[in-house]
Amino acid sequence: MIFEERQVEKNNFSSRAIFLFTLVAISFLAVLFQVFSLQVSSYSSYEIAALNNKNYSIPVQPLRGEIFDRKGNVIIRNEQTFDLITKPNLIDDPELFLNLIRPVIYLSALEEAQYLEKFTEKAFVNKELVLKKSLTAEEIARFNVRSFGFKNAFIDKRHRRMSDYPQIFSHVLGYTSRADNQYDSSVGIPLNHWVDAELTYANGLIQGKTGLEETYNQHLLGKYGKRIYEINSRGRLVKTLKYYPPEKGLDLMTNLDIQAQMSAAKALGDRKGAVVAIDLFSGGINVLFSAPNYSTNKLSNGMSVKEFENLIQDPDKPFFNRALQGRYPPASTIKPAIGMFGLTNKLVGWDDEIDDPGFFTLPENGRIYRGWKKGGHSNVDLKKALMVSSNTYFFKLAYQADMKELASYFSLLGFGDRVCSDCFDEDQAFLPTPEWKYKNFNVPWFTGDTVNIGVGQGYLIATPMQLANYISIVANKGKVLSPSIVQVDSKILKTEENNEISLSSLDWAKMHDALTSVIEGDYGTARSIKSLKNFQVAGKSGTAELVSLDSKEAYLEVRDTELLRDHSIIIAFGPMPNPQYAVSVVIENGESGGSVAGPVAIEVLKSLLNE
Amino acid sequence: MNKKFAKIHFDPYLFFSLFFLTTFGLFFLYSASNADISIVVKQLIYIILGFVLMISVSQADPDLFRRTSMLFIIFSFFLLGVTFLFGPEINGAQRWVRVGSFSFQSSELLKLALPIFLANFLFDKKLPIQSKEIITTLSIIFVSFLLVARQPDLGTGLIVALSGLFVLFLSGLSWSFISGALVILVISSPLIWNSLLQPFQQQRIATLFNPESDPFGAGWNITQSKIAVGSGGIFGKGFGEGSQTQLNFLPETKTDFIFSVIGEEFGFLGVFLLLSIYFFILMRCLYLALSARDRFCRLVIGGLSLTFAANLIINLCMVVGLIPVVGMPLPFISRGGSSLISLFFAFGIITSMGTHKKFLPQ
Repeated sequence: MIFEERQVEKNNFSSRAIFLFTLVAISFLAVLFQVFSLQVSSYSSYEIAALNNKNYSIPVQPLRGEIFDRKGNVIIRNEQTFDLITKPNLIDDPELFLNLIRPVIYLSALEEAQYLEKFTEKAFVNKELVLKKSLTAEEIARFNVRSFGFKNAFIDKRHRRMSDYPQIFSHVLGYTSRADNQYDSSVGIPLNHWVDAELTYANGLIQGKTGLEETYNQHLLGKYGKRIYEINSRGRLVKTLKYYPPEKGLDLMTNLDIQAQMSAAKALGDRKGAVVAIDLFSGGINVLFSAPNYSTNKLSNGMSVKEFENLIQDPDKPFFNRALQGRYPPASTIKPAIGMFGLTNKLVGWDDEIDDPGFFTLPENGRIYRGWKKGGHSNVDLKKALMVSSNTYFFKLAYQADMKELASYFSLLGFGDRVCSDCFDEDQAFLPTPEWKYKNFNVPWFTGDTVNIGVGQGYLIATPMQLANYISIVANKGKVLSPSIVQVDSKILKTEENNEISLSSLDWAKMHDALTSVIEGDYGTARSIKSLKNFQVAGKSGTAELVSLDSKEAYLEVRDTELLRDHSIIIAFGPMPNPQYAVSVVIENGESGGSVAGPVAIEVLKSLLNE
Repeated sequence: MNKKFAKIHFDPYLFFSLFFLTTFGLFFLYSASNADISIVVKQLIYIILGFVLMISVSQADPDLFRRTSMLFIIFSFFLLGVTFLFGPEINGAQRWVRVGSFSFQSSELLKLALPIFLANFLFDKKLPIQSKEIITTLSIIFVSFLLVARQPDLGTGLIVALSGLFVLFLSGLSWSFISGALVILVISSPLIWNSLLQPFQQQRIATLFNPESDPFGAGWNITQSKIAVGSGGIFGKGFGEGSQTQLNFLPETKTDFIFSVIGEEFGFLGVFLLLSIYFFILMRCLYLALSARDRFCRLVIGGLSLTFAANLIINLCMVVGLIPVVGMPLPFISRGGSSLISLFFAFGIITSMGTHKKFLPQ
């Protein structure tokens, strides 16, 4: 090549090389610009993305609050044990696993059976399963030596909800079970049984399902803690970055009285029924008992399917809370209310007397309504009518009443309404009115219906809770309380303003006097319990008829079937003349009110008064 | 002493910038491998071998490369053939030749042999280059591309093709031809998309434009790489402190995505320093090319250094999410002996071409 040609070639090369290297430089700038936008402009969002990648936070389950009685004795607590916990999802063959673990830890046949029963489900949901609780120091040492051989099991502290009185308080306390959805602001996600969490309880994430455990679940629950782990790309935990401890839930200070509840249970024995006792100063519920019952310890901490089915199918219905949901005719215990209604509406005075021939004839059609005593009680005034429980007197009084007005008076006394401010699933029963009857039976209200209500039969129905509330109003001379299980000054519960039942103080004094004579008087229907105590008690007994019969002879036939026998009821308050407690007792198929339900009421009052 | 030193062909700018680059690279690799010192030691041995190779190659006269260019390319094709016939299949691709316990990625050699061969073929041709020569050149480039691309290794195949095209362009390919070729390329691109690209390659391109559409699948690499780089900020998280790297959220940290490690742990400042070193090396190559003694040397320096630049830019653009994911290491820093040795070889040739002067009449 000649020189000029070489120079042209060189220039040509130079311009093209510079052209390409300029493209290279532009590419460098593009990369630098992109890196700048990632690292400087969008830094914060990528920083968060990187943190989200590596931080894994696990909620830490808090301890639930404990529940105490009014004297500060614990009713339900958190029992801590060292348990052998397994990871079923890492165990291929549970039988083989049991064979391996048997030489290390003693297992009863029941424990093995329960383990195998729950195994499949726990393996499926990737949750832990406690094989044996309350390990001894020796068992812990034996396991720890061999723990390298058991990658699918470990020993850790776990808690259980335990009560020393699991049966008698079962309906009040209720039970806990796997959590459905709990919201905790510190965790931010709904917590349920499926959530991965650091467990404090042997049964995983739990929540109250019935009773106080349910009603006050939010207070008892506590605040979840948090453990933030660093994880790698395979989700493996590398180390703990931060730990926020959980906060234990609030303890519940209740008005319940363990001694009195125990007295109620003991006095009722193996009979079916309910007892409710109310503190007349605070409205606190001291006793809320229903029999038969079940063990909350077992129900909360795992019972076998068979045991559970037995409970469900038990004809005596142990899950049924008779104190709050049992619907009973109040029978003669309604008579004080009818009397008060008569006084308020000037239908009757304390001095007005009637003749009681033992029956009442309805003027309209001549239908006969019989009293419990053949031949009657001859001349009867209001006090005597209450004392001897004259049906004729109250048939007659009710006959004069307007049902609508009577119904609204019952309503003031809490009938047909939920009266307890913090009871679980309380039944409001119902208040019979002409409208109700027409709507349900397409039949008008007859005067006879009102007459029946005069003695607490017919359509009138009440729960033991309503009866206790009603008698506490009578005992408090018209002051309406809001009965509650939890102490009002515990700041969890708020009081409501309530109406009063107005009656002159003379009327109240006479009413108390009349009701005292039911038990303390020589002719009182419940005089048989007079000698059981050394303080005076006022009250009214009742015998709720399950079948309407005209004669005593006919009842004796019916009596052969236990479930058709009359219910025995008493409502009482004492000690007189300055009552502190009111109590209602219903004993199913217990027959005569005074002599059967009466002693139970006395035992409870004695216990509440520490006598 | 001075005289003796003068006889050693040595470019201090290239030498020291490569020295810094590889030294930093060892630290990056240490962090990227989760503090696996054995990987670093192995890399260090390759680097030392590489420098020895570079200095040795620099001493040879450019004429030696010109005369042996035919042999060189035939040997490269031979190795590719051996790979095709006997190479082990790794991850569905045959890219390696194994001699005893030593394995080598055969396409690396072709990246050097092809530009040298084409430089030799074109350096004495008259300007403008005739169609006959263009067609011959393009055919050789196309055959080389096919041999590599069918391994399959599309990324390296494109680099090989580019190394040839750079030489063709620098040697004076007419602009009209270039613009014609570009038009044809654009028109035929749908055809290329449908018939030449494998489904996984199509997906990679699709993912680029919307990585969030499939964050755990095809978009994972790009997403995690961007998070790593972005979360590094201006100053970085510190040596060995990058969570994306150390907790393995970032894939392929030791090879293709090592730049993301640097971005995460050393931040924008680290990236800027690194890119400066690379840019300085490229500017030095441009200077050597412009001042080289003859057309052959100019073409070889230009071709090799631009191939190096393309390799680098493709890797950078990939990890910061500007182009689809293609397997392409970060030159001089990613783990891997084949790549290091061939890079040092290339810079040996560049040094040789840039430092041997022939005194011609001006």
